[in-house]
Amino acid sequence: MPPKGKAAAKPKEAATTTSKPTTAPPPPPSPSTVNDRTQQRTQATNPHAATLALTSGLSTLSPADKTLWINSRFARSPALRAKLGTKAQRDLWRHVNEANLPVRSLKPLPPKTPTSIWGIDKTGRDIGTYPIPQFDDFTAKRARLTALIAASHSFASHRRRATLKIPDPLTNEPVLLLEADISAERRRRTEMASLRADLYGTRSSNSKSYASDPEWDDVTPTLLEEPEGATLAAIAYPDDYAEAISYLRAVMVRKEYSPRCLRLTEHVIQLNPAHYTVWLYRASILFALGVKVPEEIQWLNGVALANLKNYQIWHHRHLLVDQYYPVLEGDEKARDDFARGEAEFMTRMLEEDAKNYHVWSYRSYLVRKLGLWKAGGERERRLVEEMVEEDVRNNSAWSHRFFVVFSDPEQSTEGVGATEFDPRVPGEIVDRELGYALGKIGLAPQNQSPWNYLRGALVKGGRKLGSVRGSVEEYVTGLGTEEEEVRSTHALDLLAEIYAEQGETEKADLCLRRLAEKWDPIRAGYWGWRRAMLEQKKDS
Amino acid sequence: MADSASSRMTDTDVDEEFVHDIAATLSSAAMAAIGPEIPDLFSYAPPVIDSLETETSYKQNEVVQDCLEYLTAKDKDLVYNLRGVGLLERDAHKAFLHKGLGRYPDRFVPADASRPWYLYWCLSALTLLGEDVSSYREKLVATAVSMQNDYGGFGGGCGQTSHLATTYAVVLALALVGGEEAYEVIDRRAMWRWLCSLKQPDGGFQVAVGGEEDIRGAYCAAVIITLLNLPLNLTPESPAWTGDESKTLFTGVADYVKRCQTFEGGISEKPDTEAHGAYAFCALGCLSILDAPDRIIPKYLDLPRFVSWLSSRQYAPEGGFSGRTNKLVDGCYSHWVGGCWPLIEASLNGPRKEGDVPKSTLPPASSSLFSREGLIRYILCCCQDMPRRGGLRDKPGKSSDPYHSCYVLSGLSSAQHQWRWAPLLRDGTDGWIVSPYSDEVQIFEEEDRVVPIHPVYAIPQKNVDGIRRYFSAKEGF
Repeated sequence: MPPKGKAAAKPKEAATTTSKPTTAPPPPPSPSTVNDRTQQRTQATNPHAATLALTSGLSTLSPADKTLWINSRFARSPALRAKLGTKAQRDLWRHVNEANLPVRSLKPLPPKTPTSIWGIDKTGRDIGTYPIPQFDDFTAKRARLTALIAASHSFASHRRRATLKIPDPLTNEPVLLLEADISAERRRRTEMASLRADLYGTRSSNSKSYASDPEWDDVTPTLLEEPEGATLAAIAYPDDYAEAISYLRAVMVRKEYSPRCLRLTEHVIQLNPAHYTVWLYRASILFALGVKVPEEIQWLNGVALANLKNYQIWHHRHLLVDQYYPVLEGDEKARDDFARGEAEFMTRMLEEDAKNYHVWSYRSYLVRKLGLWKAGGERERRLVEEMVEEDVRNNSAWSHRFFVVFSDPEQSTEGVGATEFDPRVPGEIVDRELGYALGKIGLAPQNQSPWNYLRGALVKGGRKLGSVRGSVEEYVTGLGTEEEEVRSTHALDLLAEIYAEQGETEKADLCLRRLAEKWDPIRAGYWGWRRAMLEQKKDS
Repeated sequence: MADSASSRMTDTDVDEEFVHDIAATLSSAAMAAIGPEIPDLFSYAPPVIDSLETETSYKQNEVVQDCLEYLTAKDKDLVYNLRGVGLLERDAHKAFLHKGLGRYPDRFVPADASRPWYLYWCLSALTLLGEDVSSYREKLVATAVSMQNDYGGFGGGCGQTSHLATTYAVVLALALVGGEEAYEVIDRRAMWRWLCSLKQPDGGFQVAVGGEEDIRGAYCAAVIITLLNLPLNLTPESPAWTGDESKTLFTGVADYVKRCQTFEGGISEKPDTEAHGAYAFCALGCLSILDAPDRIIPKYLDLPRFVSWLSSRQYAPEGGFSGRTNKLVDGCYSHWVGGCWPLIEASLNGPRKEGDVPKSTLPPASSSLFSREGLIRYILCCCQDMPRRGGLRDKPGKSSDPYHSCYVLSGLSSAQHQWRWAPLLRDGTDGWIVSPYSDEVQIFEEEDRVVPIHPVYAIPQKNVDGIRRYFSAKEGF
């Protein structure tokens, strides 16, 4: 064997030869990631591997390094060693010992793809880039999951024996399934699910599987049995959704109203909040179980904010209030607290979409149901006023105000149509509303909302339209002349009615003609019909 | 150049691509020189605009700017005629709708409870485009069977609770494909019992057992009852049952509709809420089923207020309809609002029999009460999702879908045609008579005319007649 190379000679050679990364470098810095550690270990156990990978072969190594490399090869391979004589073997071991060569080594890393050997995690990150402590934690969790899976398999075979009455193969005793076993398995599965989610992110494939959940063992899922050809506009269900609704069908058929069904409905709602069937079923379960309405509402708030366009949520809320009503009816404070909470939540919803039809629809229902016409210091009117301040064109807010003011049973007559005179509306209320509308018209005269409101309030209060003539005429000057100026087509529309009411038919007709010709010609057909109405009135 | 472009309307042998190119060149180059005939009304912002900006006006101005691009023949992906009206891309829309009846990937799970709607929307839109959809009969029958419940009605899919909206959609879809095999899917006895279980003491209908009560429910129920020729009497199990046998499924419906009219004149989803275009159509449709429109509509609605509100839904320069005061135009209201006009005109004009005294105290609608030109321009210029996707849409910047395709085309149909409530030729009873609308210069190409649909049932008259004739010939269930 050639004489061994001295480790001490290395630094010198390193400076002059190509064999830079060779044996016995100064102790490397402790690795920061898994890949670093692998790299270090590979290098430490494969002397010259890096150099050899870069060059064409052994000839580039110094004679000493060549010897070292050869020795390391012989040391690692019993087959090669067997070819040596006894003396040579002794020499070999002496050299190995002196050079502190590794007897075992890591397989050299494949060239070019050195980073993927640890695989990637659920987020797509290379596990090799984990810091060492995180990797240790990951490994520990994986081990724990493996142990749990084994225990779960054992439980499954135990349960199978218990159900099929197969005796224990070792003791020949009958196998009993104890409540404690089941609850242990339940805990185990919870832990497994969370470990799986943690490690692999597979939330839906196993962790929520009903088929593998002993709690659902008594339910035979009703699989979707679509007749052949029933494929029009069919949706390819993801596995978790398909499974959840197959269990939903099964429990609905047997009219089961239980806590587990409640959880199932929550799961289905999470997967598809537009599934009206599951909402109706959920309501039945809640009422059968006597679940506390405030708790359900709390939960519902989160679902509503996550699904702004959904409307099943609002009918569900409606049903909850109907159910809760007997509690609220006799308790003024509870009712007020509840109403305030609802108002706060609706404000939150309307921040997202100020004209959300379902929210406003629920809101008017709530006012009528709980009698909130003037509650909380006229809270409804105040909140709606705030919204009109925000956007004077928010017609939903205007509509709600009209309802709150003119449908209040204390000051209105039941059964009177929305466009009809109601003698029970107090005069000062009418005045207040007319003033409010006219004030807002001043901000943006072409905004139709307050004009509709104004006309509506005039009719409700039994006032002549002409009672606001002066205010309306402010928006139209020089009608029919060269200097004609119209700041609001809605003013012109109302003026036509006012003039007709006051017998000034020609003037009324002029308003309508100018609307059709110049100011609002898209509605020319309608303005023409209105002129025909004038004509008819004149004749009769 | 102009000749080549117009040859596209007549010469079907010409290579499609080639003509397309010439026409496109015309729209960008020649039209820039001579300019298509587009009225100012559809080319400029309206004459009165407030200076105060709020969220509403900000959005409105944005839509106006977007639409003007399309309305003034500047969009590169549309082919315009010499009046600046887009040509109907029939083939692209048909392809989109056929695809709409195929399979959907898993991200469509939120539509799982609306599958019957997809059937109706696609079949209806295809029918409007002149496709024969009877080839879908077999598949539709199988699909519909899977949605029907033993206790009556159809749900959104297998195992889903029966719902009036999904039942309405399935029944109309079956009527569209037609044929005994399709009609016989429906268990009419169970359907009748189920409808009775939805009928409420106040006259309205719940949409499902335990579901909400709204005017949509009333309209869907009225359509189903009359198309299937169901008995009107109530079962003793009905929540509306009082023991008084004169009370029927239709008792109180018109009063319920009346309570949905708001101070603005429009109709809300249920009493006490905001007037909305979709519910306006439901209200008029429902009333027109209960009785002749010229009798019942003025009786239950404040008609001048209603018409004022309805007319306010049309905006310029967009030309399309909005659903509520101060909301944006949306192609779907071409039907919900646009479809109200034939019913309003019928209620004003009534049957024109010799010596008939008009029942309404209001003047007749001697000409169109809305701008058909505006609506047609909006639909053909702004609502076609071109060049790639096909189908029709809400407004520029949105994607097409089956819902908008159906209702935009329905609206186009009512703008292109004229319905009259008049004595029918054969038996002297009153009925609907349709003809192409011809009182004004026609701005669209004749080959872009879509099929007329019944003003109440929103499917072609022959499909309405087919299913009604089939069931009225039956004795019992």
